[in-house]
Amino acid sequence: MLNLGLDVVTTAAILFIVSTGLLLVFGVMKIINFSHGAFLTTGGYASVIVTQAGLSWWWGIPCALAIGFVLGMAVERFIVRPLYARPLDAILATWGLGIIVGQIITLVFGRGVQMVESPVTGALALPGAQYSAYRLILVGVALVIALALGWLLNGTRLGLQTRAVIMNEALARGLGISSTRVRFITFCTGAALASVAGCLITPLASVDPNMGVPWIVGAFMLVLVAGSSLVNLAIASTVLGGAQVLVSTFINPVLGGLTIAVLAALLLRIRPEGFARG
Amino acid sequence: MKHGMIATGARGWRRATMAGALVSTLLAAALTSSGALAADPIKIGVPVGLSGANSVVAPSVVQSSQLAVDEINAKGGILGRQVALEVADDGSGAAGAQKAFDSLIFDKKVNALISMETSAARNAGLPIVTRGKTPFIYTSFYEGRSCNRYMYVDAWVPDQQVAPIVDYFMKQKNAKTFFLIGSDYAFGRGMLDFTKSYIEKKGGKVVGNEYLPMDGSDWTPIISKLQAAKPDAIITSTAGGAPNVTLTKQLRAAGVKVPYGNLAVDEGTAKSMGSDAEGIYISGSYVTNIDTPANKQFLAAMQKRFGADLKTPNDLSVPQYEAIYLYKAAVEKAGSTDSAKVIPALAQVSFDGPRGTIRMDKQRHTPLTMYLGQVQADGSVKVIESFKNVDPGEQCPSLK
Repeated sequence: MLNLGLDVVTTAAILFIVSTGLLLVFGVMKIINFSHGAFLTTGGYASVIVTQAGLSWWWGIPCALAIGFVLGMAVERFIVRPLYARPLDAILATWGLGIIVGQIITLVFGRGVQMVESPVTGALALPGAQYSAYRLILVGVALVIALALGWLLNGTRLGLQTRAVIMNEALARGLGISSTRVRFITFCTGAALASVAGCLITPLASVDPNMGVPWIVGAFMLVLVAGSSLVNLAIASTVLGGAQVLVSTFINPVLGGLTIAVLAALLLRIRPEGFARG
Repeated sequence: MKHGMIATGARGWRRATMAGALVSTLLAAALTSSGALAADPIKIGVPVGLSGANSVVAPSVVQSSQLAVDEINAKGGILGRQVALEVADDGSGAAGAQKAFDSLIFDKKVNALISMETSAARNAGLPIVTRGKTPFIYTSFYEGRSCNRYMYVDAWVPDQQVAPIVDYFMKQKNAKTFFLIGSDYAFGRGMLDFTKSYIEKKGGKVVGNEYLPMDGSDWTPIISKLQAAKPDAIITSTAGGAPNVTLTKQLRAAGVKVPYGNLAVDEGTAKSMGSDAEGIYISGSYVTNIDTPANKQFLAAMQKRFGADLKTPNDLSVPQYEAIYLYKAAVEKAGSTDSAKVIPALAQVSFDGPRGTIRMDKQRHTPLTMYLGQVQADGSVKVIESFKNVDPGEQCPSLK
């Protein structure tokens, strides 16, 4: 029982970490960044670079953050910004970018699967179960990210401007807020978050040029259901992620993989605004 | 005017040029056709997973193919003809295999297909092999009982591989309950179905049998079930490459320490998994420290040919090397590359390779010497026991 509960909580945490970057970009720019998977992969390979350089795995996190931010800057400036007035084309462009980044990574690192040593191995002995220590750490990480982003959005001037742009971009610009700057910083932050997420999942998975792809669909569904609020994303991660764990455990894991997509589709059919309030 | 032997009028010149043209065309045809016959290489098609799940092992398969072809060509080729390799990417799956097989058989018109592939790719390619009537030597271990008029297999089947691990666990580790985990496709299910019936035949009990899709990477619910079931031993059969790595990492992260037998991991992948792979039991027909002159010679030749780029020879790449030699022997016995003659000849020839003597005469499959090994801390495999000439069992009774 404890095991199942921990499965749900840790899966929700992982889904949350992977989806926050996508949520930020969607909320502010109203486009789904399909290169999100490519940024996840870049973060994974940041871990590989750090490991190959002989440094401790923990250096991968700032490394991934930096790479993601810089890449995000280039992408926003040269691909997304010119397509500002054409959101559908922007989505298509990010999809193409995802493919290109995947191929570049293949050219540089090869197609094979890379190995990254886990920073924390083994399980924690808890009353009633043994549970993977690293997964438990990720719950803490998810909380930290949520709090940090929450503080950024609610406690800083930039956050205030971002929330204004999320609510109504035209009105915000009318008030003198530079929406271009907000969009730029949001995209870079979203990309950096995706990159860090990719780095964080490497101890649980293998690193290969397509590692980000399976996560895009799940993250996409969660973001659509959550709208633009971080709290809603946490709720969506817990509800949908929990459903995935329950179906995988009690029915079978093959159907479990479908759960998030199916539930999200049903939810949006019943309540198009998802978990958002109005 | 005198009518001479040599025509000098206009009509005569035309006749002369026409005769001359005819003679030179015949001469040219005769020269080029005989020249073409002598220079026409024997093409061996190698459809292999350069991308996708098998991308980790495909380079080693291509390398052993190249060494075999180079060695054969250096000694004069097959029946005086040089051998050429045509490598195509089958994407490690059915869709890619269809494209690869089509292009190799009907575009490049290869004389034979010799390769390792995932079972999904093999099953998709077989109808094309039948249509093209091309001899196909399948060099990958697999779940068994795949039969086709044009196919031979020189790698192991579960009847040869599963017994060593299960017997060892039951006798030496006193295991009575087993938990089986696999990838959801022909190989994963076929191997574990056989394992389950073998365990039950020997008096053991299977307390869990779970599958994840081939590209799935989140084993969390399965690991939770495993911990609830508390088995004495685990046996896994996932697709090669990424699934092996993710499952092992997550098992170790969850603190699972019971004896772990992996039916589908090769030495190369195990070596690159680092400390996570330590203690895993594997069973196969090839390990790099097989102590025979043939193996030592093979390893030296590979090292010389590829140097620093060498990918560790393994149980998926060595059968490829031997299969190319078996094809050579069959063509020489048949005296031609004609399918109808080569197919029966493949059952009659043998080759002494790094794995010993290979002869595909048991319903298209071959008896093999199997090795039970355990992965050590440095990634090498220590051989615990070896079993000589294990019979493949009843694989294709209708294709005697």
